[in-house]
Amino acid sequence: MEITKVDFVAVPSTDWKRSRVFYVETLGLRPDETGQAEFWVGNTCFGIYEPTTFGLEFSPQKNAHIALHVDDVATARAELEAKGIEFNGDTFDTGVCHMAFFTDPDGNDLMLHHRYAPRT
Amino acid sequence: MPPVLDVERVDYIRVPVTDIDAANHFYGEVLGLRRNPNSPDDDWVEYEAGNVTLAVMTPHTHDYEFAPLPPATIALRVPDVATAKEKLEAAGLEVGEVWDSGKCKGVGVSDPAGNRILLHRRYAPYADGTKP
Repeated sequence: MEITKVDFVAVPSTDWKRSRVFYVETLGLRPDETGQAEFWVGNTCFGIYEPTTFGLEFSPQKNAHIALHVDDVATARAELEAKGIEFNGDTFDTGVCHMAFFTDPDGNDLMLHHRYAPRT
Repeated sequence: MPPVLDVERVDYIRVPVTDIDAANHFYGEVLGLRRNPNSPDDDWVEYEAGNVTLAVMTPHTHDYEFAPLPPATIALRVPDVATAKEKLEAAGLEVGEVWDSGKCKGVGVSDPAGNRILLHRRYAPYADGTKP
């Protein structure tokens, strides 16, 4: 197999317009220039989709904990909390990085992440 | 209105699995992703997929329960979807039917834990004429 990149990450949603508002206006991620249901984090594309339109049952992503890189987790968390975003538990310090867990409006797992320790 | 955050990139996406050895075979040897030598533990193995790190890990050793990712959460780019399907089937994997959206093709394959991974290729040019 010759795999060169992740083309997109699918975001299951029950209301794609609400999801777009959350990711683009609340999190401030970059909207795609043409696809209304797509947005970008760095060079990775996320695509919002409603599983029911494909005959699939909606089920939120509860295990990927997509790690969104920010310079400072505490600052970013405070900024989102000021916007009404609730976090799940305290910010976790693994010994090499900080993690702060939250979800999008459909319950998809996300985290703010910053590794502060150098790679070995 | 300026953005609230300045998110730079996706650091990683967890891929929950139940059997790390089977998962290492699938992601490392079948899909051929490069294993990051800095992977921290035997139950957290990182594979590099170009722009995103896939953190293949076992939830049961990290204090939470396994649940597979929703189908096609992760879409991996391959040069040709039909060829990828042939190669995977030759390796003994069950692969779905190739679909064509009119702009791209895809096919699903499950990892040993049941995460449905999408192999994907857009063939239509973007609005500005460029191609993936």
